[in-house]
Amino acid sequence: MVHVAHALAVLCYAGAAALAAAPFARPMAAPLRGVLALLAGGVGAHVAALGAVGLSQGQVPLTGLGPALSFAGMVLALNLLVVEAAAREVTMTLAAAPLAALCTAAALAIGFRPVLTAQGARAVWLDSHIALSFLGIGALATAAAAGAMYLVERRELKARRFGAILRFFPPLETLDRVNHVAAVTGWLVLTLGVVLAVTYSAEYEAVEAHKLVWALAAWLGASALAIGRLLGWWRARRAALLSGMTFVAVVVLYVALRVVAAERGQFL
Amino acid sequence: MALTVVGASHHTAPLDVRERFAHDIRGALDAAAALVRAGAREAVLLSTCNRTEFYLVDEEGTRAADALAVLSTRLGADASSYTYVRRGQEAAAHLFRVAAGMDSMVLGEAQIHGQVRDAWEHGRAHAGPVLNRLFQSALLVAGRVRSETALGRGAASVSSAAVQLAKQIFGSLVGRRAMVLGAGEMAELALESLASEGVRASIVANRSLERAQALASRFGAVAVHWDECWSSLPLVDVLLCSTSAPHPVVGVPQLALAARGGRPLCVLDVALPRDVDPAVRELEAVYLYDLDDLQAVVGASLEARRAELPSAEQLIGGEVRRYWDWLAGLAAVPVLTEVRAEAERLRQREVAEALRRLGPATAEQRAAVEQLSRALMNKFLHAPSVRLRAAAAEGRGLAMAEAARYLFALDREAAPDDGAGARAPEHVPVPTHASGLAHDEEHE
Repeated sequence: MVHVAHALAVLCYAGAAALAAAPFARPMAAPLRGVLALLAGGVGAHVAALGAVGLSQGQVPLTGLGPALSFAGMVLALNLLVVEAAAREVTMTLAAAPLAALCTAAALAIGFRPVLTAQGARAVWLDSHIALSFLGIGALATAAAAGAMYLVERRELKARRFGAILRFFPPLETLDRVNHVAAVTGWLVLTLGVVLAVTYSAEYEAVEAHKLVWALAAWLGASALAIGRLLGWWRARRAALLSGMTFVAVVVLYVALRVVAAERGQFL
Repeated sequence: MALTVVGASHHTAPLDVRERFAHDIRGALDAAAALVRAGAREAVLLSTCNRTEFYLVDEEGTRAADALAVLSTRLGADASSYTYVRRGQEAAAHLFRVAAGMDSMVLGEAQIHGQVRDAWEHGRAHAGPVLNRLFQSALLVAGRVRSETALGRGAASVSSAAVQLAKQIFGSLVGRRAMVLGAGEMAELALESLASEGVRASIVANRSLERAQALASRFGAVAVHWDECWSSLPLVDVLLCSTSAPHPVVGVPQLALAARGGRPLCVLDVALPRDVDPAVRELEAVYLYDLDDLQAVVGASLEARRAELPSAEQLIGGEVRRYWDWLAGLAAVPVLTEVRAEAERLRQREVAEALRRLGPATAEQRAAVEQLSRALMNKFLHAPSVRLRAAAAEGRGLAMAEAARYLFALDREAAPDDGAGARAPEHVPVPTHASGLAHDEEHE
């Protein structure tokens, strides 16, 4: 059940991305309903799969690389579903649905073995920290996706190429607004996640240097982006570039720390 | 019963001819009334700047000549070389395409939908069930084409291309502010399009303050002299340039100095020669488009619309079939009436002959013969009547009606050896048009 539902979610996310790309292959109306249905179907299957994992393990499926990746994929797809339904657009799916499919497929390949088995209040504390951190990183990914689309569309508009991108991408200002909201929301949520992590570490003396480095680096990047946006230091192209760079840096740092510092299975 | 369209459009007639064919509302109503008086069952005239078309329903499909005569009278010469005649399903499909903007000069334009609705609503006095249903179906399918395909999407004119580009940068244009340099006709057209999307024309700048004031008053803007406008540049989102200057009047210095905090500025240069130095494109948040760019947007939109034609044709084809099935059901009713009338005529003749042979008979005997013949006739006709109605309801009415006409010898020309004697056909039977044998005559 867990594997089938995960595979179904991957297929739905990939299908949504392919359907969202269809208007670029041939002139047609944006297939909003189809994309939303596929995303909703994928999220539904994904939630069912994570629920089954949780039931079988007796804990929220957040710890361990596989469950964590799967949860991240689900959060990203859910974010995407909400943004696309609100904006009545499908183009964000082009950038974010493959990412959700990739996370989920990787989780499927790695497996769903849990790492920590915290109990009681400690489990709630830990799970809240992990869930908030994922939501924060998911929002950062959304900001990066909107930023990437902003850069592509800006280049097309500047170069006066009036093809499919002009017809199907949201307006530049809309992408900039999505970037702004996602960056600020992600920063707030990530801050809360980091606060929970710091207090958890102090309470249970569970400090791990590599986690601390990654958390601080991610939070600093998100803070720089969000505060810069709030104070008007960067907007439009600069904000788009910075959000993409921040997200890539967070992912690269995570991979690097896993490789050089983390014991397999102990970090996410 | 035959459905025919006789008309001329931008495909077949030049503007000066179309001008003569054009009817106002009163004239269209009078022309339709004249055609009905001449023998048409129903008539509606669709008259726009690009087409004048008579939609007719008559018994034999011969009233097309009357419509052609109306056009010839208006032209003062034979109009047949400028006109086309379409019959049956082709006539229905033609109106559906027209209403959907598929036959328009600008493919997919929306205005024709309202014009078709107006023509029908104003002409309803001379429309009956066939044309009422035809126009209803046309408006319905036109709506479907617009909502289910991308035929009406994108810009189809330079001014709408300007709006599309501005919207691609800003999203909604409601409350955005525009500055206009120059007070020419192109600026006015583009400004009208932008204003219809909610853009506020804040400033109109021109070397002649009088002309600037004239344009500014129309859009509730402030008119300023050319030299005073640059200080207001940081406040606007759209800069519309349309001066008659022989060289660029807007360059990097003017735009670079406007402290805009990174907010985008959409510069629409609709002047010839161009007003804006192309070097401003290098500025971070400046999006400059000239007439060539706007034409390219229009070209790309029209190309995308053309690619939607097969999907639109599919919708049209389905709706034509549905309409024709309905019409077939309508066609079954007169056939049934004719069959019963013919049977009754034969029954009366045979009863009279039988009673003559019987000689003197009592009233009861006569009544018995009458009742026997009537019962036999009703029993013989019951099953065919029920089946024909059922076939019509299922959309197979035309084929069945044709078969009934043949079997019951209602079409004497089709059954020369039925012993009833040859008789000239009284009308063109509906199935001739319905079964796809419609004539499509183009006089070009």
